[in-house]
Amino acid sequence: MTMPLTVFSALVLGALAITIVAPVLLLVLLIRDWKRKQLW
Amino acid sequence: MNSVNSAILDPSVGWAILAGFSLLWVALGWYWGRHAQQLDDYMLAGRRVGLALGTATAMATWVTSNTTMAAPQLAFQMGVWGMLGYSLGSVGLLMFAPLATRIRRLMPNGYTSGDFIRIRYGHTAWRVFLAISLFYSLGWLVSMGMAGGILIHALTGIPYHYGMTVILAICVGYTLLGGFRAVIGTDFIQALLILVGLVVIAVLAIRHVGFDSIHSAVTAERPELLNLLMPAAIMFLFNNLLFGIGEIFHSNVWWSRAFSFRAGVGFKAYTLAGLLWAPIPIVAGFVALAVPALQLNVPAADMVGPMVAANLLGVTGAVLVLLMVFAALSSSLDSLLAATSILVVEDIYRRHIKPHASAEDMRCAAARIIVGLGVLTWLLCAPRLTTLAELLYFTGAFVASTIWPIAAGLFWRRTNSTAAVAAMVLGSAAGLYSYFAIGFYVAALVGAAVSMLCVLLGTWLAPRDFDWEQLREEHPLHMGARP
Repeated sequence: MTMPLTVFSALVLGALAITIVAPVLLLVLLIRDWKRKQLW
Repeated sequence: MNSVNSAILDPSVGWAILAGFSLLWVALGWYWGRHAQQLDDYMLAGRRVGLALGTATAMATWVTSNTTMAAPQLAFQMGVWGMLGYSLGSVGLLMFAPLATRIRRLMPNGYTSGDFIRIRYGHTAWRVFLAISLFYSLGWLVSMGMAGGILIHALTGIPYHYGMTVILAICVGYTLLGGFRAVIGTDFIQALLILVGLVVIAVLAIRHVGFDSIHSAVTAERPELLNLLMPAAIMFLFNNLLFGIGEIFHSNVWWSRAFSFRAGVGFKAYTLAGLLWAPIPIVAGFVALAVPALQLNVPAADMVGPMVAANLLGVTGAVLVLLMVFAALSSSLDSLLAATSILVVEDIYRRHIKPHASAEDMRCAAARIIVGLGVLTWLLCAPRLTTLAELLYFTGAFVASTIWPIAAGLFWRRTNSTAAVAAMVLGSAAGLYSYFAIGFYVAALVGAAVSMLCVLLGTWLAPRDFDWEQLREEHPLHMGARP
């Protein structure tokens, strides 16, 4: 049973989208923590 | 230099990158560690780490050189199940999220996972647990040190011993200078490097080759890689899941983070780290599936990721891979050095050797232990015995046997120490037996199953009424702990 092209593309694109969002989210959280003086 | 190396990077470029990053990490280690006067500051970053740094450190530490190099290799060998199986490593982080909250609440003054086992189950269970945990830590350290030497050599042609020495010396250097704060701070930068590098390579693979070409080339040349019913790969998936949970539940790498996070941060940080980590092996694995479409001849499966990157981007691609690998290696090595040194200084040095050690004694011992661990790892890595790297596979049986004693011990008042000791000893023995009798892909499964039976049966036969208040034990040194 072969994984269809659409499922394969959706799986990779979904994973890639999260990987693109991840560094942006981390930077946003860093700035928020820094403003609240809760970095560490 | 072999054919793989000559296709990737010149040693002088490799040395320049290693020198630049060495200076950066050591300078940051010194900068962040310069105000760490209290032992709590040095060992647990003052117990006030926020959500951003907490999430990044959990994510970057779990992205080892294996994630960036072995995930493409697994995709190349086991196809989509290899990618998805590796991705299930995130379940360990997600499942640890509620445990982190519980740990912080029950043990506001705790230092190590050993502290928990000692108070919860007594000295016999504690010593069995320490043996498992230190064996696992050393196996992971050695595998990371060896991976550093091998990968730097493969990517740049720099001799194995030089590369391995450099990566170990840098990590020891900045962990020593800055303590846990340096580890957490550099982890944030390393997480960004890994994520950005991976995105660039994957986007280029899609733009230059495309989903259609990759899918049709794999279907034509390696159809088994897209087969949704590959039994060995499905077995690998479940074993990897339990191995990952066992690694995270027992290791002081994750407990020390739970202790160091600000109150209320642990659950969110581990949940977010798990969600952000899960797609990384899928994206890294996808890059490997471009091999048939690119018509690459791959001489060694573990070099598939760098080869695709170099093919798509030339020298820039190889530099990107080197940065990612360097970041992945340092983020795991520094965490292991710091967490293992805390475990050794608290559970071995103070509890076994010098019970009346002062805070200054502890701080000196922690520094000496970090250097000692670095030297020991170097000595074990130097002969380049491949069997030592394989130690990590053995540890699957050991660490999986700790899942039930830890989880039940944290949430189930009635679990008793005899059941915990039996679970760790019999679970490890059964896992090891199955490792040799059946294969590496069942060791963690069997270890966890036997451990579960021991905990459930032992608790049912002899329930105990544990007082959770005992876990709020004050540290005799009052190491500057904050509420």
